[in-house]
Amino acid sequence: MSTPSRTPVILDTSVLTAVARGDADIIALVQEYDARGQPIVIPALALAGASLDTRSEEGDDLLAGLELLEVVTVAPLSGAEQAARLAHLVARTGLDPWDAHAAAIADVAICPILTLNAAKWQRPSADLDDPLHIIEIADPGDQKPGK
Amino acid sequence: MSDRKARLTITVDSHLSAYAEHLVESGHASSVSAAFNEAMAEKAYRDRRRRSLWKAKSEQADPGRVARMMAHIDQQLAR
Repeated sequence: MSTPSRTPVILDTSVLTAVARGDADIIALVQEYDARGQPIVIPALALAGASLDTRSEEGDDLLAGLELLEVVTVAPLSGAEQAARLAHLVARTGLDPWDAHAAAIADVAICPILTLNAAKWQRPSADLDDPLHIIEIADPGDQKPGK
Repeated sequence: MSDRKARLTITVDSHLSAYAEHLVESGHASSVSAAFNEAMAEKAYRDRRRRSLWKAKSEQADPGRVARMMAHIDQQLAR
């Protein structure tokens, strides 16, 4: 097993939505990171976005279950300055507020963002002074030759 | 629920303290301590249920696929 990164990683709305929908592989992946001691940051607004997408009691229970993992820290949106910074990011990148919260944390904390959809981050990342470090969660085995 | 009780001093939000007092006055709790005990018991139940749900979901995972995804992430983090 490779040496885990101790730099926290941020989960975006796509990953949290997969958790809320009960995606067993993504849930197991997050649990494995918990077992490894890999710090994970979850933007509170990204949680709201995932809950909004899923709209089910089980989905909210699965999202709340994230907080029970030792490695997880839920990052709140706190105070007027952070709210203004978020609004600035939304205006500049066109991201929705849910993922803009992830971008705001990544921009300040210099942490990579884990996503199931790297393509959606390409343009917003290019719009920022310092590009975001985007890590796509994908199974290379899904990419069949010739596709 | 255990009959054995532990004594502790806690600080709570004033509106929650007021609500606990209201539960006692309206006969819905035998004491303020009982009201907070019940609230914590409910949280413990919810947390257990959520852990069980996570465990049940992760047991349905494809370990090989999860390992491949993690290796792919590690490769990207190492760049």
